[in-house]
Amino acid sequence: MIGMIMFGVALLMLMFGFPVAFTFGGVALFFGVFAEGMDLFAFMPYRIMSVMQNTTLMAVPLFIFMGVVLQRTKLAAQLLTSMGRLFGGLPGGLAISTILVGALLAASTGVVGASVVAMGLISLPVMLAHGYDKRLATGTICGAGTLGQIVPPSIILIILGDVLGLPVGDLFKAAVLPGVVLIGLYIVYILILTRFRPEMAPAMPDDNNKSRSKEIRDALLAIIPPLALMVVVLGSIFAGIATPTESSALGGVGAVILALIYRQFSFKMIWDASKDTVKVTAMVFAILIGATAFSMVFSYTGGDYLLEEWMLALPGEKWGFVILAMLVILVLGFFIDFVEISFIIVPILAPVAEALGINMLWFAILIAMNLQTSFLTPPFGFSLFYLKGVSPPEVKTTDIYRGVMPFILIQIAVLAAIFIMPEWFGMSSSY
Amino acid sequence: MRWIIKLDNGLAWLSTFCGWVACAAMILMAGNVFYDVFTRYVLNDVSIGMQEMEWHLYSVVFLLGIPYALRTDGHVRVDVLYARWSDKTKAWINLIGAIIFIIPFSYLIWKYGYAFAVESFSMGEGSADPGGLPHRWIIKSVIPISAVFTGIAGLNMATQALRVMSGEKTYEAKHGAEGLA
Amino acid sequence: QETFTLRLAETWGPNFPIFGDTTKNFAERVEKMSDGRLKVRIDSANKHKAPLGVFDMVKAGQYDMGHSASYYWKGKVPETLFFTSMPFGMTAVEQWAWFYHGGGMELMQEVYEPHNMLSFPGGNTGVQMGGWFRKEIKTLEDLQGLKMRIPGFQGEVFAEVGVNPTNIAPGELYTALERNTIDAVEWVGPALDLRLGFQQIADYYYTGWHEPATELQFLVNKKVWEKLPADLQEIMRIAMRTASYDMLIHSQHANAEAWATIKEKHPNVQIKQFPKEIFQAMYDANEKLLAEAAEGNEQAARIIESQENYLNQSRAYTDISTRAYLNTMTEVE
Ligand code: NA
Ligand code: NA
Repeated sequence: MIGMIMFGVALLMLMFGFPVAFTFGGVALFFGVFAEGMDLFAFMPYRIMSVMQNTTLMAVPLFIFMGVVLQRTKLAAQLLTSMGRLFGGLPGGLAISTILVGALLAASTGVVGASVVAMGLISLPVMLAHGYDKRLATGTICGAGTLGQIVPPSIILIILGDVLGLPVGDLFKAAVLPGVVLIGLYIVYILILTRFRPEMAPAMPDDNNKSRSKEIRDALLAIIPPLALMVVVLGSIFAGIATPTESSALGGVGAVILALIYRQFSFKMIWDASKDTVKVTAMVFAILIGATAFSMVFSYTGGDYLLEEWMLALPGEKWGFVILAMLVILVLGFFIDFVEISFIIVPILAPVAEALGINMLWFAILIAMNLQTSFLTPPFGFSLFYLKGVSPPEVKTTDIYRGVMPFILIQIAVLAAIFIMPEWFGMSSSY
Repeated sequence: MRWIIKLDNGLAWLSTFCGWVACAAMILMAGNVFYDVFTRYVLNDVSIGMQEMEWHLYSVVFLLGIPYALRTDGHVRVDVLYARWSDKTKAWINLIGAIIFIIPFSYLIWKYGYAFAVESFSMGEGSADPGGLPHRWIIKSVIPISAVFTGIAGLNMATQALRVMSGEKTYEAKHGAEGLA
Repeated sequence: QETFTLRLAETWGPNFPIFGDTTKNFAERVEKMSDGRLKVRIDSANKHKAPLGVFDMVKAGQYDMGHSASYYWKGKVPETLFFTSMPFGMTAVEQWAWFYHGGGMELMQEVYEPHNMLSFPGGNTGVQMGGWFRKEIKTLEDLQGLKMRIPGFQGEVFAEVGVNPTNIAPGELYTALERNTIDAVEWVGPALDLRLGFQQIADYYYTGWHEPATELQFLVNKKVWEKLPADLQEIMRIAMRTASYDMLIHSQHANAEAWATIKEKHPNVQIKQFPKEIFQAMYDANEKLLAEAAEGNEQAARIIESQENYLNQSRAYTDISTRAYLNTMTEVE
């Protein structure tokens, strides 16, 4: 029960505005030392070491570096505004461009911290500069940046494959359609919203000196170099040149080469980009370390056994079981890290699901969609913190919390759709 | 008050120093990963030592980046209320938070991280993989080192809060993406 | 009566098949046999987050026990390498005989003693498969510059004959093999390999020689062990020994089942054996590395010698019994 109280206290403490990472760490410290004694923290170096040796997370600083260089060299702004121009007088062009760029990044990384922060650096300043509504802008970025979890390659799918004993390849294939549908619905949402509220996402101003065809041609020309960079990053994975993590380093080096080509390169620029990268990376990892202290105290004070108990109390009838399992995962996702959910809860659900004749692939995709949502749900959705960390001060936490709501609803809608009509997504609900 | 200003500036310098090391590691790491991809794909050569160097550098980036980001107020806050508060209230929050959260937390990480690194040193631990790096204690000792500097940055947060309380300094709009272009 | 609860840290995830079943099996037996006086609480890697910290955590007393594999500690204590499985080494039965009758246990305790721990055989995988390759290996030439995920001492042997051992995060192994970022992956055996899906992306499944009898280990903190009354110590010994045996038969069963599945559902997979030329080169490389390990390390030299002598003696008998029998079986339909 201590674990549950700790969540409440942490939530309250966060409201004081002290840095999130240290609030997590500090609250964990009080509860941990109180319940188990100081020596519980002898586990911390091991936990920090496991973050250090988790080379998949290396994608975080590397993608951020790419994002910062693209931002500092104005190439990111150029990419997005040009893409936005292609939409002509249509409002919402920048947001749709952001979603498309987010989809590209999603296909090259499975680490949410990496894509959300990179997207925040690349597109938030541009959208704000063009008069976008803060909530729409931040919601779009969180939504697009979190796509990386369902669009393969994806860490959630790999962990679920391991936990459920499913081949990763099958999971990756099954996740493609839900990912595409999600991207499509995000875009449809932007189109519908801006039809009624065009002021939230102003169209790019017309360049009166240019004809429309010349404008399109110029825009295409401007898009190609940075877009090519992202395609190269993605291509390097498909061609087997680099692993997904390594591809993010190619992105960083590629961005520097683009800077050279555009005569924006200077050693000072690189050094400054590195400074920004270090700050943002430290912000992300401090949260990870604070959160690992938190989950350490949670599980060593019996929180994991409590969760197990709850899971075992789920109904033993197929549809009731799946619906309740999804609800529980969704609610727990508000508080607990997806890794914990995958390792503590899913293994308890799996044998029950199997016994009920549920198709495990379908079940896994439902869980993956559900866990992806957990990155977006306040109060502890990590995507929200990450984006806040790279936002200018005028963007408030509450803006992000509210902005992300429609995207959470879209995700839940897709989750429901996969649940109700698995055939449509190329799956079946039972064997 | 004079000595607090001096102390504050001195502590800030230490965090900046950490940031400098982390920045250098960042650039080296990007180069390191690129080099490894290049040699593997183009020259068909792999060095596990160089591959391990990647995560060594990456660890330095975030472990030493944490105190640096503390000084530059780069750590994300939930600003629902914080943004509305006066500098004085903010200073109180930061002073208390630094003393009850950051400093004790850093102390525990330092205490156990130090034992962790010493154990590795005493066993002469190295990589178990072919061509891997020796002297694992070096990278393990970055954990307590980071904790010391984070504790110092926490102390620095407190001295800064005292300066703000005295009215000698303000927080400006100094949070979130401060310093980003 | 005094009751004890031992906290055990295992290197594996909570539901890692076969390996994880071994600790559960052990914990259940201990509790039953002791009539509840001795309980074991298992913490898996997701809880302690330190799969390769088990040695340190048991040594420091943060955990009372561990379940892992001795060769993981080679970077900390080089002599721990020899108590898991060696290339061209003993089979599971031969190795158990070495442990319990050939002086293996004594040597193992000698290595772990300075670290305040006892180590016990903790479950065998049987012969591990030689790995998944995307192209066929016909000559030594084909191995030159081949990029393969193969860790530890086994990786060193491969490196000696021209392979490029490569580190890939487990989460990226599948993608790396699929995209030809690497050419080959060594994992365990059909039952566990099947879960990672390598059969979907690699056609050549090589037979093993590098880990003929991977024996896991139970580590026990010495102080904790000494605090247990003699009857509970004996219960522990028996439970560890049966858990070890149970894991071998479980592996045999699960692998046979998984192999049947692969044969039926993935006809693309071909079983291959390295040609003689390659085996000879590997064998020579292994001998060379062992000689290097023995040089200037009296303890390692003694362990290697003990294993070599025991293998020679034991194998001569295996040849006229098990091997002769298996050969007989190939003579008849
Ligand atoms: Na992805
Ligand atoms: Na293996």
